Amino acid sequence: MSARRDLLEQQALIGSIQPAVHVPQNWNYEVEAPLFKAYAHPPHDVGGQFDAPILYEEKEEEQWEANVYVTCEVLGWRGVWNSEERRRRADNDLGYALYLGIPYYGRWIMAAARMLVDKNHIALTELIEKIAEVKARNAKK
Amino acid sequence: MSHSHKPGESGADLPHAAPTVEEITDFEVLEIAVRELAIEHGLFTAEDHRRFTEWTESIGPAAGSRLVAKAWTDPAFKARVLDDAVKACKEIGIDWAEPTGFGTPSDYMNLRVLEDTPTLHHVIVCTLCSCYPRPLLGMSPEWYRTTNYRRRLVRWPRQVLAEFGLIIPPEVEVRVEDSNQKCRFMVMPMRPEGTDSWTEEQLAEIVTRDCMIGVALPRPGRTADVHPVHKARHPVQE
Ligand SMILES: [Fe+2]
Repeated sequence: MSARRDLLEQQALIGSIQPAVHVPQNWNYEVEAPLFKAYAHPPHDVGGQFDAPILYEEKEEEQWEANVYVTCEVLGWRGVWNSEERRRRADNDLGYALYLGIPYYGRWIMAAARMLVDKNHIALTELIEKIAEVKARNAKK
Repeated sequence: MSHSHKPGESGADLPHAAPTVEEITDFEVLEIAVRELAIEHGLFTAEDHRRFTEWTESIGPAAGSRLVAKAWTDPAFKARVLDDAVKACKEIGIDWAEPTGFGTPSDYMNLRVLEDTPTLHHVIVCTLCSCYPRPLLGMSPEWYRTTNYRRRLVRWPRQVLAEFGLIIPPEVEVRVEDSNQKCRFMVMPMRPEGTDSWTEEQLAEIVTRDCMIGVALPRPGRTADVHPVHKARHPVQE
């Protein structure tokens, strides 16, 4: 498969996960108050929204999910972040595509990674190198 | 990462390259990377992680069941539960200060137990995230975390409860308690008929997790919450 074909497929995928919008959006010159309020509404504040019935299921926990829960809590235990910044900002205020699209604990670990970089506990390059190293280490198995 | 979707979801029709079998997903990689970097930088120790994991594995809904069963048989204890639930929990061996000395970093030491009556039924949700009384009920079930449950329960509680098989008669008020990050809630259902001679242990068996969330009612013979289970690819190792 060509690099160009890969790129086009990736762009189609990105387009497909953009939130559906029902008004033109291209950096409007003006935004009326009700629309401003709607833009400012945090994606995680979902109470009362319409949705169709689904099958309510249990989920067996993945090992990585159990680890993420503990990592995020222990970062709190040791004072690296607090509950408010985790819940209302880091884990939740991600925009609709990320908030609704990725796994529950996927949001948690992305938030933790971003926080560690934002607070200068680790450098972004260090994180990128570590990710590459972990991938390489596990590929060998 | 492979593009995995739940069956029947439209995402399954998205264009994608030939499926590749990967041993480890992007989230698994990120989890390892963040944990190792945090330990290497001394933000926490491997021992901290191990201790917290141990505590997490020790919690579960059995504690809540014991609390309710004891309250059903001991009116003075019930009064203490309704007055100061965190304090009353110590009497059944649950210390909300565990495992850090100040509770879990995301569960404040603040719990209110909601008592059902013949004219009032409670059910809990967290519309903003998934707040849940972990020290008493363990980790929340997946359906409790879904946007679907959170969206609909506060607006159409009777319909959602009916989907769980729980029909609340119109003369009974349904009260939905929306958790916030500072306070946890748990439902104390009514003791069902036909359990007069039962021991606390027998009673605890019918107080399942769903009864304490409020999406089911305890009754003799009902000792488990039955839901479809989505299996893990790499489940937690014992
Ligand atoms: Fe919450």
